[in-house]
Amino acid sequence: MSDHAPEPAIETIDLSRSFASGPALDGLSIRVETGEVLALLGPNGAGKTTTVRLLNGVLTPDRGSARVLGFDVATDGDDVRRHTGVLTENAGLDDRLTTRENLIFSARVRGFSPDAAASRVNDLLERFGLAERADDLTQGFSTGQRKRVALARALLHDPDVLFLDEPTSGLDPAGTRDVIELIQSLAGEGRTIVLATHFLGEAGRLADRMAVLHRGRLRAFGRPDELAAELWSGIGAQIDLGAPADSEVQTALAAVPGVTEVEPSATGADLRIVDRDVLPLVVAAMVGQGQTVYEVASRAPSLEDVYFAIEATFLAEHGGAEVTDGFMRDRPEPPTDPSSAIDSGSAMNSGSGAGTGGGR
Amino acid sequence: MSGPKRDWAAIRLVMRKDLTAVRRSKSIVLPMVLVPAVLLVLLPVALGLFARSAPTDQVANALSSPLVKNLVKPILDLPEREQIIVLVLGYLLSPLLLVIPLMVSAVLAADAFAGEKERRTLEGLLYLPISDRDLFLAKVLGAFVPALAITWVGAIVYAVLSNVIGWPVLHRVFVPFTQWLLVMGWVAPAVAMLSLGLLVIVSSRARTTQEANQLGGAVILPLIFLIAGQASALMLAPPVAVVVVGFGVWGLALLLLMINGRRFTRDRLATSS
Repeated sequence: MSDHAPEPAIETIDLSRSFASGPALDGLSIRVETGEVLALLGPNGAGKTTTVRLLNGVLTPDRGSARVLGFDVATDGDDVRRHTGVLTENAGLDDRLTTRENLIFSARVRGFSPDAAASRVNDLLERFGLAERADDLTQGFSTGQRKRVALARALLHDPDVLFLDEPTSGLDPAGTRDVIELIQSLAGEGRTIVLATHFLGEAGRLADRMAVLHRGRLRAFGRPDELAAELWSGIGAQIDLGAPADSEVQTALAAVPGVTEVEPSATGADLRIVDRDVLPLVVAAMVGQGQTVYEVASRAPSLEDVYFAIEATFLAEHGGAEVTDGFMRDRPEPPTDPSSAIDSGSAMNSGSGAGTGGGR
Repeated sequence: MSGPKRDWAAIRLVMRKDLTAVRRSKSIVLPMVLVPAVLLVLLPVALGLFARSAPTDQVANALSSPLVKNLVKPILDLPEREQIIVLVLGYLLSPLLLVIPLMVSAVLAADAFAGEKERRTLEGLLYLPISDRDLFLAKVLGAFVPALAITWVGAIVYAVLSNVIGWPVLHRVFVPFTQWLLVMGWVAPAVAMLSLGLLVIVSSRARTTQEANQLGGAVILPLIFLIAGQASALMLAPPVAVVVVGFGVWGLALLLLMINGRRFTRDRLATSS
């Protein structure tokens, strides 16, 4: 094995599935490395849940193949599910059972002995702050409590790959924060995590790479900074002059070697520059103009910036207007400062596409 | 059921989980307690006591009519004062026992299949490492075993009550008799399985337990009337005829279950939920 690249946690080749209503996933080819956190992004109906179901052998592909931890999802479904944990969008708890009974049942089906199941369940109840409600029926639980029980259930067997399908949907801000902190701690344990969500904020905080799906097709795949580098040349910067840059200042900024774009902003100007070495020249030029420079800063593009830029590209290509349906954020300002160069780990696709690349 | 080895531990766990959940559901427990209580306790006690005090000459006249004479020969061979008790408790009410497996397995199957969809708990099961076949078996047995247990417990209660009521007249145990035992031990399980087979088909098309019960009622009710109408004759038929009828019902039930089993896949469940 040492002669070969390590086996990926997840690999799909041309993975496709259609329903009566049309294709839900069309030609998905991705590779997710062990220990990586992948954000599966896209609006409602993009194919995220279908992907999670296919990767767990719950749905059968029409075309293509997928392997999770080396197991073929179409033929080794039980083996896949033995090593994966899934938090479904709906917690799917049996409300006629207590928290403990729900968890013990799953643990026992996963092969735990009665004693081992009880011990593991007790540990997780403590970890997730559910010990006091362990013997209550889950019927009256809040969405946040249900999510925590479901997350504990997904972690019972310490899975190698964790799928989280809309983990914060329906949660209030405090619940969202709790769940995100939990996921962050899980990611810190080196677990491979696939985070299917349309909440871009949480994906941006948690993911190493993003796969953008739309109408079942992969639109982009890679690290946000890599994708940003494909989208925009140079890096972005902001200069704070205490007031919007007037035309004279804008002309002076545009004349600085390495500045490619100048846009006035509320406190100065937004710039696009070829690299960071241009920043001292910008400051010198402004001082030469008699301007007071309060701050010069570059800003890394967020996952949200990249997502919406990809979406804009898609819109331009297809002329659609509904692409943003279901996304929980405001449209961002243009992105700035990709911090690294493009490598083979990213791919943007106008149609279906594939990408491979390193993990964290 | 061919294919990979069955995971009986997982099957038992799913059955136990379903039973625990069902025990806590009043809407399921109530009909499962009330219907047997009415059919197996109230009805035989009321009619049995009435029969004990009924005038025997009218009964003898009714039974000696040419239409039923041959059919009820086992009853006519009895002393006149015993005929009415044996007729009512041994042959007329006993067949109602077959309604119990039919009804209980239908209620449990509706909960196990359509109920999972309605409560949106199915997906949690689908992500567990249990094969489609084992999951199907667990769901079927989870409805079949309690239905059979309730039927057999009910049959024992019915037999005891019948003999207690009949004792002052007969001074002997008259239930069970061969056909009665064959119906309870051989035909009743087949009826439960047949009902399950029908309800699984219905449940796969229903989105809620209520819908499954309504659709199921349309399928099961004619079956109940058929059984209630024909089972008395079954009790009077030669034992070999009971065995043959049992084979027929088993065959039909297993055929339905095989068809259902083939259609019971994660893919179908996930896309229908």
